[in-house]
Amino acid sequence: MKSQISLGRLTPAVVVVLALLLIWQFLSWFLVILEVPLAQSKIPYLHELALTFSTYSGTLFSECSVTLTNAVMGFALGALGGVFLAVLMSISKWVEQLAFPYAVASQMIPILGLAPIVYGIFRDEQISRVLIAAYMTFFPVALNCLRGLRSADPQALELMYSYAAKPWSVYWRLRFPQSLPSLFSGLKIAAPLAVTGAILVELMGATRGLGVIMLRNLYYGPSHNYMFWLTVIFGAALGILSYLIVSLIERMVTPWQPEFRKSGGDE
Amino acid sequence: MTLTKIDTPEIAIDQVSMSYQTDTAKVLALKDITVDIQKGEFVSLLGPSGCGKTTLLRIMADLIQPTSGSVTVSGGTAKEARLARKYGIVFQSPVLYDWRKVKKNITLPLEMMGLSKEVQEKRATTLLDLVGLSKFKEKYPWQLSGGMQQRVAIARALAIEPEILLMDEPFSALDEFSRERLNEELLSIWSKVGNTVVFVTHSIPEAIFLSDRVFVLSPHPGRLSKIVEIDLPRPRREEMRNSPEFYQLISDIRNSFEGV
Repeated sequence: MKSQISLGRLTPAVVVVLALLLIWQFLSWFLVILEVPLAQSKIPYLHELALTFSTYSGTLFSECSVTLTNAVMGFALGALGGVFLAVLMSISKWVEQLAFPYAVASQMIPILGLAPIVYGIFRDEQISRVLIAAYMTFFPVALNCLRGLRSADPQALELMYSYAAKPWSVYWRLRFPQSLPSLFSGLKIAAPLAVTGAILVELMGATRGLGVIMLRNLYYGPSHNYMFWLTVIFGAALGILSYLIVSLIERMVTPWQPEFRKSGGDE
Repeated sequence: MTLTKIDTPEIAIDQVSMSYQTDTAKVLALKDITVDIQKGEFVSLLGPSGCGKTTLLRIMADLIQPTSGSVTVSGGTAKEARLARKYGIVFQSPVLYDWRKVKKNITLPLEMMGLSKEVQEKRATTLLDLVGLSKFKEKYPWQLSGGMQQRVAIARALAIEPEILLMDEPFSALDEFSRERLNEELLSIWSKVGNTVVFVTHSIPEAIFLSDRVFVLSPHPGRLSKIVEIDLPRPRREEMRNSPEFYQLISDIRNSFEGV
């Protein structure tokens, strides 16, 4: 009974996906019979992609894991930095006025230009990748965390005041927990960005990673077309995966958020 | 216990005035309030909206400072009383922390007092029992009804064993039935705890049912217009609401608003 219900719910989604895949396959075939030049690099056959995947899945997964490891390290670094700056800015207007314009300006620098500079300075692909991923994570996290820290309910603050609470206690017991939903909004924006950032640095010249095989297969031209497509698909999948993982952590850390609440328990 | 201690009021409000500066005018919210509240007394501040009753409570709680005049709490200033954690405050909304379960909401002030886990646990258990929510200690606040949430807020206010319980229209968001039930529960809790209570309300029956004395405030500017002694016997029961004495008190207080 239960599985029937969930199956019934899933049916529309499955139908839509199948329909889209069919349309894709049809368009691919259509371009081929029209003899459009480089038809397969525009819309490749799905079965060819599957075939290439079955041959090279080992390479794809190992390169992905390199990229993901760097993205995760950069993400962690950027998130910590973002939270740290947000706390400083929420404590002191002075710090906010000093740091905020630079934080905004930092986001105006094109990553494509920044990555080679960072690489040039550190001469280490590992460090560069982590730093760029951190750099992209940092801003959305800082911004959203700051907003969360500022959103404490005035009466909840008065309650703390009436307990003669120490400032750090107000942060730890009220402002910080209250800011978690906003913080997670920032983290969910930042996680796919960190992946993008890591791939981008790999394009600049690294030895391992998804970006490396992406670039290599692009250069080799049509013969490696299917592999190139697979790297793009895997890049997207990594982004989605990172988002889903952060969402899952959010659900575990803040089960009290209105969107996760189970109803019931009323008198 | 010495006699002088009894003579010293728990809260002495002396010539308290409060004015706000708005864009267009200066508003006098409270004008020359002078009144004493004795230890262990249950007092209500009663009046229509705009009479400054909540403002007066907030001044007592040291949440805001009066423009002039002073509040003395057991010989010291209101600020000293706040820093010594003599106040338990219950607001109109429960102001529970969503991310803490019921029990953890009650132990919140105890954590800040640095009490040991065992003491926290013990007090929480006693208080949950007192407000009749033992079964719900592991629930989140939003899983409870409005009345239950306010009971958690009362338990949290009592957790620090405050000498003074300040309540700002705590039951006004509830329906009439819950409100009357909670009135009776509050009295039964108070009879066990025995601290001083200052209770803000705009409900005449609620003020009479609960209080030893009702301070009637009138608006524009907010001032103390009358103090009504409620000599109904305790413990007070639901049936008292139908007694002729109760009705007499209601009409007495209502009449004092007539001239306003």
